[in-house]
Amino acid sequence: MNEQLVSMITQLVMEKMGNNALEEPSPDTAVPTEDQKKPLLKLQNTLANANNADEVASPGTTEQSNEPLIKLYQTGSGNHEQSLNSANNDDTLAPITAFKFEADTVSESVQAAKKHTPARIGVGRAGTRPKTKTWLKFRLDHAAAVDAVYGEVTEGLLQKLDVFQVTTRVIDKEEYITRPDLGRRLSDESKALIQSKCKKNPKVQIIISNGLSASAIEENVQDVYLSLQQSLSNLNIEIGTTFYIDKGRVALMDEIGELLQAEVIVYLIGERPGLVSAESMSAYICYQPRIGTVEADRMVVSNIHKGGIPPLEAGAYLGTVVEKILHYKASGVGLVAKEG
Amino acid sequence: MKTEKIYSAGIDIGTSTTKMVVSSFLLKNVAGVTHVPRIEIIDKTVLHQSPIIKTPFINKEMIDMEKIEQFIFQQYQLAQIAPADISTGAIIITGESATKENASEVVHAISDAAGHFLVATAGPDLEGIIAAKGAGTLQQSKNTAKIIANIDIGGGTANIAVMQFGEVMGTCTLHVGGRLIEFQNGNVQSISPPLMKLMEKWSKPLKVGDSAEDVRVARLIQEMADILAKTLSGQLTDEQHPLLLGHLPTWNKPVEAIVFSGGVAACIYENECSSRQYDDIGEKLAKSLLQHEQLQSFLWLKPEETARATVTGAGTQTTEISGATIQVDAEVLPLKNVPVFDCHMDTNNKEFDYAVKTAIERADALFSIQESRWPFALYFSQLPYLSFQDVHVLCEAILKHLATRSSKEIPIIIVIQSDYAKVIGQTIQALNQTVPVICIDQIKVETGDYIDIGEVLPSGVVPVVVKTLAFHSK
Repeated sequence: MNEQLVSMITQLVMEKMGNNALEEPSPDTAVPTEDQKKPLLKLQNTLANANNADEVASPGTTEQSNEPLIKLYQTGSGNHEQSLNSANNDDTLAPITAFKFEADTVSESVQAAKKHTPARIGVGRAGTRPKTKTWLKFRLDHAAAVDAVYGEVTEGLLQKLDVFQVTTRVIDKEEYITRPDLGRRLSDESKALIQSKCKKNPKVQIIISNGLSASAIEENVQDVYLSLQQSLSNLNIEIGTTFYIDKGRVALMDEIGELLQAEVIVYLIGERPGLVSAESMSAYICYQPRIGTVEADRMVVSNIHKGGIPPLEAGAYLGTVVEKILHYKASGVGLVAKEG
Repeated sequence: MKTEKIYSAGIDIGTSTTKMVVSSFLLKNVAGVTHVPRIEIIDKTVLHQSPIIKTPFINKEMIDMEKIEQFIFQQYQLAQIAPADISTGAIIITGESATKENASEVVHAISDAAGHFLVATAGPDLEGIIAAKGAGTLQQSKNTAKIIANIDIGGGTANIAVMQFGEVMGTCTLHVGGRLIEFQNGNVQSISPPLMKLMEKWSKPLKVGDSAEDVRVARLIQEMADILAKTLSGQLTDEQHPLLLGHLPTWNKPVEAIVFSGGVAACIYENECSSRQYDDIGEKLAKSLLQHEQLQSFLWLKPEETARATVTGAGTQTTEISGATIQVDAEVLPLKNVPVFDCHMDTNNKEFDYAVKTAIERADALFSIQESRWPFALYFSQLPYLSFQDVHVLCEAILKHLATRSSKEIPIIIVIQSDYAKVIGQTIQALNQTVPVICIDQIKVETGDYIDIGEVLPSGVVPVVVKTLAFHSK
């Protein structure tokens, strides 16, 4: 997905291995484009932290995080240069062309097949192993998935959505992962907060949680939420007071439904990240969720992200699903049965 | 899982023959239960195939509409389907019939009388594409990755469509057909004008009344096979060639395999021409194609349909299903013959208002006839990734330029390639509750295409027939 980045990392790796003589990166190697900003920044932070740990931190390192990668790369290669220079007693500074992956030479039919799937097909091989580029892409996607699980939703987003925050009985991420049961119950303070702040007996209660992917919420929730609000208001369906739950599990909606006596709950939650996307969000919907509600009564619209169901369209669609649930007074398997 | 059945009809009025098929489509939500629904046609069954009859004419220039209507209603009875039950399909007038005086009147009258939503189509390019779909060649090109040419040879014309990976790359039409020379009692009874033109250079052209066994007949047939072979090999560059109808070939890659369909193809593959009871050059043309040396260099594939390729294509391959999340004002449907204008959006700067304004102005200039405004569909092919704010700006722009003139007769029609129809439709509704809106997505069209939008089906989707005139090109 991010060829330029992968090729830059490779360049770093190659230099580390000392295969190449010293060089200044030619200016055209790293001109990050707009849509690449995000991963670049992440990478840079990681690298900057590593630097801090290894040596005496230069105070400016972390604050530079808004600069493009090229800056860091120069710093990195600068250090690198020094060590190599001292080792080699310095002779060359010969200009060397930037590293480039060989161009993909896949047949037209593979190209045609690639249009139909995001899977890693037609990537070739080097002996019995994948090619470096494929392998690095894989590592990058895997790292993004890990980041998604351990990341947090930013305060700014919650303010923009104008939602308050509550917590579950989970203390930290490790416990969240190992104790799903605790993620299904609200902390005592949270219960009190919800009762004091939320409208009781709402027709539709919308709740949001990072779940297993904070980046899913960060990327998608605003568009889904706004478009769902618009859709429900077009249908004259009234909405309760939306709030955000840190480290929630899906079945937490039961306790919230019980607490607020909501008729329908729409629960926007980050999905377990995969290697195709770490930013996929789900919307779980249930008619009168209460403690003891069975899973068969829940419905889900999954795969909401830029490369899946567009967030805006998902929000618009959810409105009609809610309308149908309210009409039949059932959700999940019950709804299918009533619909005939 | 629930399925839904709809009925479709296809009618082909060709140079020499007319035929009809009635089929049923099975629609189903093929998306997983956790996904937004996606409705697709999962099965097509041909319920009734009419016999192939001679196209009835009142005189040389007039098609006998009454007889065709009688034929169609008789076939509906045999199929035990009422015309009102037909929810999609197409009627196509092809070959030389399309050039008759009352051709347009005939297709439009029949399209209104013979079904609820039956689309009128014509044009040699479209004919070639529909035949290729009906013959199963488009599907073959998907399965084999080969560049395949489908050559539909009927009575009057040969319609060539070239495709790869299931996409049509180009077309070409030639005056090559079985009925270009007709015989009676062993003598030439008629010679079509393109052949007369071809013979202008000859010292002794063939005349009406000459013997059917005359060597010049064989020579003309040879000329036809030659021009076909040249066209397929990419050697036809003479725009003025008397046997070329319309434009030169528009595909830009060498053809690898060929498939013949149409009436003459029945003689190619089945080796016996008994079903073709016409006293013309059809059989000889088929033989000459079979033996043509240059054509042997191509891989020959077999079609699923020969004589019925076009009608099968019209009846079973013209209907598309819109995305499942759409917003439509059911009262204004169906809409027929809506021209499409592509509103080009610069992906980098989101100047929606300017883009929409210029697109509407240009569409008006193209489609409006003397102040009377036609409805047209605004098509968004390359929408960038949109935020909620962007959608609002876009919808405000659309309403600003279109709301004042819209009515039940002229609704706002928006077609989107990517999946945005529901949110855009809902946003327009939220901004203006009275204006009728048709907003559908996941349909691929281009400026110059015409679309027909059928009535809403129980699953919430609409059938759409795209009458395309442009092609996929790289």
